[in-house]
Amino acid sequence: MLWLLQKSEKIQSTGSQTAFFLAFSQASRFFDKGMLVLDETEKKEAHQLVEGYEPEFWNVLQTARTYLLLSFPQEKEAWFAAVNQLFETADMHEHQALFAALPLMPFQEDLIDRAIDGCRTNVALIFDAIALNNPYPAKYFPEANWNQMVLKAVFMQRPLYRIQSQDARSNPALAEIARDFAHERWAAGRNVMPELWRLVSPFLNEKYLQDLQKVMSSKDELELAGGALALFNGPSGTGKTVLGKFPTLVSQIESGTITWETVGKEYQKTRV
Amino acid sequence: MSMYIDPHIHLVSRTTDDYEAMQKAGIVATIEPAFWLGQPRTEVGSFKDYFSTLVGWERFRASQFGIVHYCTMGLNSKEANNIALAEQVMELLPLYVGKEGVVAIGEIGYDDQTEAEDRFYREQLELAKEVDLPVLIHTPHRDKKKGTYRSMDVAEEHGMDPGWIIVDHNNEETVKEVLDRGYWAGFTIYPHTKMGSERMVEIVKQYGPERIIVNSAADWGISDPLAVPKTADLMRKMGIPEEHVQMVTYRNALTAFSLSGQMDENDWLQAPPIDQTKKLSGNSVLRGGQVPRVEGPADRVEN
Repeated sequence: MLWLLQKSEKIQSTGSQTAFFLAFSQASRFFDKGMLVLDETEKKEAHQLVEGYEPEFWNVLQTARTYLLLSFPQEKEAWFAAVNQLFETADMHEHQALFAALPLMPFQEDLIDRAIDGCRTNVALIFDAIALNNPYPAKYFPEANWNQMVLKAVFMQRPLYRIQSQDARSNPALAEIARDFAHERWAAGRNVMPELWRLVSPFLNEKYLQDLQKVMSSKDELELAGGALALFNGPSGTGKTVLGKFPTLVSQIESGTITWETVGKEYQKTRV
Repeated sequence: MSMYIDPHIHLVSRTTDDYEAMQKAGIVATIEPAFWLGQPRTEVGSFKDYFSTLVGWERFRASQFGIVHYCTMGLNSKEANNIALAEQVMELLPLYVGKEGVVAIGEIGYDDQTEAEDRFYREQLELAKEVDLPVLIHTPHRDKKKGTYRSMDVAEEHGMDPGWIIVDHNNEETVKEVLDRGYWAGFTIYPHTKMGSERMVEIVKQYGPERIIVNSAADWGISDPLAVPKTADLMRKMGIPEEHVQMVTYRNALTAFSLSGQMDENDWLQAPPIDQTKKLSGNSVLRGGQVPRVEGPADRVEN
């Protein structure tokens, strides 16, 4: 901790790139990757500080690195010179820290391309840092890039419920893409992750209802729960007929025992 | 099953079949020294991306096969001869040497033994001292004996502790001097050429297991990523005590490179089990439709 305060002070007062880079790398010698443990008040404070900021999903090391990053003087040209270099030379865990810290960074509008490029990674840890528990994509990504990110999360079978503001950013194009993806999987004799139907739910029409009817013929509890949630939350009335045969699921949804979060969490457990 | 470390292997050039075979043969950790790519780079950006691969993608790729990946950072002797480029690479290195899992400065030293090679070798020795990292020395293939001695002379001139230096690619002609002067002696097992497993057995018989480290240096040329476990098997067959086999194929490398503070046995003994389901399934190591490997901890570590 003393190390962090000293480095932060030095970075702040000198604006030295070298000191910044070295401390940013070497933070791994002083902090581990255990998760931050926060109480309810601290979580609330974080959310008040920056909307959607969820440090309860951060580890100690990335928190320390973010602290160093925020210590670097925020003069635009010098800031970008340093931070671009950091992004371009980062290892996996440094990337994780940088991308997760996007919502805390200055000049956020100028970082959109960087964030979109980050989504092209093949490293799940880095993808998660952008896509999950991070308000940045929902706030800044154009629709096409948002849709690519969500679809990639589906591909990688990441927990969709941890993508922020996804209902607010739902759109017919994404629903269409999600449907095509489901059909591809079915054609290959593979299952579709239950959370996928959340993307379709706001736009239920005859086409989607047919798909969901197929989902509701599954023997898998989670697939049934996902299908039922999509039908239940769809535009009023659309899913009623299909749902009529599933009174137990409906009452579980009404009582909050089945939510997209519970389905997502249970689904992740089946994967290990 | 025995555990092995391959402390010198260029994994960016190897296939996933290699990774699987290595893991099956008992290799738990690897060190990938920064080297050249078989042809000279012409832009500093190529170095930057290569260094980033060593601490990024390659490390991730190795982890998907249950192998812990470390690396060394440095400007190799061949490319030190492009002075304008080498100077830029030297400016880049401080960005990488402090990163997690960077266990040495290397591989550095001499190739043609030119003035430029000498200059950047010395500069990197100073860098190693500054950041408290061991040094991995590449000894030249031509005029080897003189080049090896010179590498050690210059290191000592710079006040380096031989106990912090691994002199690599030794043979029968160099080993005695290297060990006598207190350095770690690396041996690269090449199929067909240089040092074969049989010669290695003889060296361990003659000099004992202290400070001797076996590696494959497998790369894009004819080489064998299983050279370390194969040599260990041959040593056992030829009657070398198990403890000695373990020293030269596991323990010594760990002792030498963990001087960096960046390598710890727990990195693999306490590693999470391989879980390829956590990784990408669409466009990564696993292609669509392949069944991911998931193992319990009991499958991973057997002491």
